[in-house]
Amino acid sequence: MEKVVWALILIPWALALAVFISPWHRLRQAITFLSLPVLVYLTYLLSDGSLPLLIHTPHWVSQLITLYDFLLLFYFLYQGLKFRSFLVSVLSLFQIFLLVWVLLILPHREGAELLVDRLTLFMYWIVATVGTLISIYATKYMEQENLERENRFVSVLLWFLGVMNFAVSVNNLEWFFALFETTTLASYVLIRFRWDEISIKNALRALWMNQVGGIAILLAILFAVKYYGVYRFTEILAIKGHLISMVPLGFLAISALVKGAQMPFHRWLLGAMVAPTPVSAILHSATMVKIAPYLILRLSPVIKGTLLAKLLIITTGFVFVSAGLLALTQDNFKKILAYSTISLLGLMMLTGAMGSSTAVLASLLLILFHAVVKALLFMEAGVMEKLFKAKYLEDIRRLVERAPVTVFFVSIGFMSMTIVPYGIFVAKWLTLEEASNFLSHGAYVGSIIFVATGGVILTLLYFKIIGVMTRKREEFFRFRLEKLPFVYLFSTVPLVVFTIVGSIFIALLSTKLINPVVSQVVGSPAPIKALGLTLQTGVSELYGWQIVGAFTLLLIVPVCAYFIHFSGTDRVFTYTCGERVELNLGTYDFLCISQVEPLVETVSVALFVLTLVLGGGLV
Amino acid sequence: MSLALLITLLSPVIGGFVYGVERILRARMQGRVGPPLLQPFYDFFKLLEKRSMVIHSFHAFMGLMYLLGTWFSLYVLLSGGDILIAIFFHLLSLAFLVVGGFSVRSSYSILGSMRELLHMVAYEPVFVLAAAGLYLITGTFQISQILHSDKLPLLYLPLVFIALLLTLPSVLKKSPFDVAEAHQEIIGGPEIEYSGKFYEAIYTAKWIEYVYAFFFVFLFAGGSWWLGALLVLLSFFLVNLIDNATARVNFRQMVAFHWCVLIPLVVINLMLLALWRS
Repeated sequence: MEKVVWALILIPWALALAVFISPWHRLRQAITFLSLPVLVYLTYLLSDGSLPLLIHTPHWVSQLITLYDFLLLFYFLYQGLKFRSFLVSVLSLFQIFLLVWVLLILPHREGAELLVDRLTLFMYWIVATVGTLISIYATKYMEQENLERENRFVSVLLWFLGVMNFAVSVNNLEWFFALFETTTLASYVLIRFRWDEISIKNALRALWMNQVGGIAILLAILFAVKYYGVYRFTEILAIKGHLISMVPLGFLAISALVKGAQMPFHRWLLGAMVAPTPVSAILHSATMVKIAPYLILRLSPVIKGTLLAKLLIITTGFVFVSAGLLALTQDNFKKILAYSTISLLGLMMLTGAMGSSTAVLASLLLILFHAVVKALLFMEAGVMEKLFKAKYLEDIRRLVERAPVTVFFVSIGFMSMTIVPYGIFVAKWLTLEEASNFLSHGAYVGSIIFVATGGVILTLLYFKIIGVMTRKREEFFRFRLEKLPFVYLFSTVPLVVFTIVGSIFIALLSTKLINPVVSQVVGSPAPIKALGLTLQTGVSELYGWQIVGAFTLLLIVPVCAYFIHFSGTDRVFTYTCGERVELNLGTYDFLCISQVEPLVETVSVALFVLTLVLGGGLV
Repeated sequence: MSLALLITLLSPVIGGFVYGVERILRARMQGRVGPPLLQPFYDFFKLLEKRSMVIHSFHAFMGLMYLLGTWFSLYVLLSGGDILIAIFFHLLSLAFLVVGGFSVRSSYSILGSMRELLHMVAYEPVFVLAAAGLYLITGTFQISQILHSDKLPLLYLPLVFIALLLTLPSVLKKSPFDVAEAHQEIIGGPEIEYSGKFYEAIYTAKWIEYVYAFFFVFLFAGGSWWLGALLVLLSFFLVNLIDNATARVNFRQMVAFHWCVLIPLVVINLMLLALWRS
């Protein structure tokens, strides 16, 4: 089993190297295709084994990691000096200082350095499927963009998958710092990829913001050693009863918020859109930002019910609503997607911080479905950009006339984030019902308000875009489905199929596959049962016929829109009150909301500080 | 279950009668005689005979889907399942109307659809919070069990009930919250481009929405169904009174009223109740 874990971590690195050195496009594509079956098979092997798995490593590996830490930080320092970025340089120096301090006081104690439990396995599954599909997609994308630098790009993506696998399986906090900063490095390299002025600027911003997260981890290690004398996840989780101090957990929570691009640290994720679209796809779905909810879930047993958890609920809930609101004012398709990721990451962390078994189930469902759907949406954004030259909302007007299949996929992606009976809706429903149990706590009342209002704001957002895309001038007389390259279809269709099938069999999915993860995270499984397609929770039921009915209603539409033409009826033009005017139809831009943006940022800074100071017990 | 199916199937007829009564009531409030009770049904048959004109078939088809979706969501509500699921199913049916409205190049239709979404933004959170309130009292989200609960939710949730009453105008597109239809302004919003049989579908769906919206009022009486019926009558009268007595506000005022007045009202009630209990 240990070998399989090491293989999962190292094989992406080897594939990345192979892609990097191979001279032909076809060969690179073949190697990338290979990553999908290989990683899926290895993850499958691991699923059968007995988990959790604690892996001890020889001492030299630790020393190697420490050496690597220093190299990485000096590289950051070099980048900071090279591009004259004051923040990056200063933060790197501070990190080096803190790392030296950590190494000086770190007690050497034998213990497992790697921890592979069901939560880790869950993340492996996402990386092995969604992550590799994005890499495959990237080979075609780069063929249309810049074939000469394709090898670099795809190899960094594949390497990123290995880093992500490593990051979710470490137990030692110092190692976690190393991997956390390695994902920062990977995102830095990817965002910088186009080497123009704005790319470098945004990459440096992503770098310094994530360095703040790294500093928070280093401080967490320092205080963990000082107060508990331990520095491993398993040891922190093993501290029973009342924790002596919340300071280390407060800092870890802050690092999660930064990595998860929660306001006011959201700009690095928005800046990532200047890079080629597969970068956004991989940052938003399988890797990078998913470390944030992962970390909160890891810590949820110890922070559950504390002031820290309640403040986290309020902070992330606030981000859930306000990021949705700000998304309404945007007109760039990728930026809208980025804001909605920030918003949904808030919801994932909110449910993770609630920490009860049902809430954790909701969080895991959100992580899973969000990874699939966001990967799909970003890949479609790339398709729209490359094949239909559509980047802004005004470009995607009446897209359905040119690209019905793409519009259909994007609509499924958007609807699956709000509407019954898709997976993300089920997660929201579980959250609402769980929060209703604790209405005497201010934080839980907050969470129910945030989930209710944030949900409708996202619905407004998505239907606004669907509305722009599906507008048509007249009947489809010569209706044709557009031809998409095979690689694009190969990487997007499985995600669409999973979104629909996974949502239909949501009851089985959550009881058979997700609930074992929940029971390892929380200690007890969520009280849910599956009766056929019906999902029973403790207090109510989502019936199978409701799921099937809703899907029938939803999927009837594209099919019938294709076939039904009311032939006996007359065609008329739209009513214009008798005026003959040239119509230039847009949509609401909600500029009134951008007035409150400074206010939103101020409040989010305040909440951030409150989470750290009050939640972390710094007073 | 069979009662639920029966009411669902008959809901267009019930809703039609309600609409007929409403037109008479409204006329009396304005000092007019008003149309006969069966006028909505006369309109219905008249529309059937009209020549069908469509912009394009997708748009017309979405009108039919709106009817189907509303009907299905009413059954979800009446069949006694989860109340939150029923609320979100309503959103599904609304989606058909909105996408239909967006799919034509008509400024009125697009403006109306956008405003329709803003209606949803306004009232949906109040409904969700009200459902949480009902859960707090009856201990269940299943409507069938709420309807047989021996507690009277109205007694514990007076502020929630008031908030729900004040959202009804925006669910039913009544003045002062009728920005999505706004006949003098955007001539019916998303309905404008439908005609003949297809307008028929929209028209019927609106009747079904009457049954849907007032059923939530009914739930606040818990097990005592007679009181529930009385509450429905009273709220019906009140909604029409407000409709006649007020002028339209703009969408910002509508959303602001729901978010800044009604949601806090609900939350105060829920928090005080939960604190009292714990």
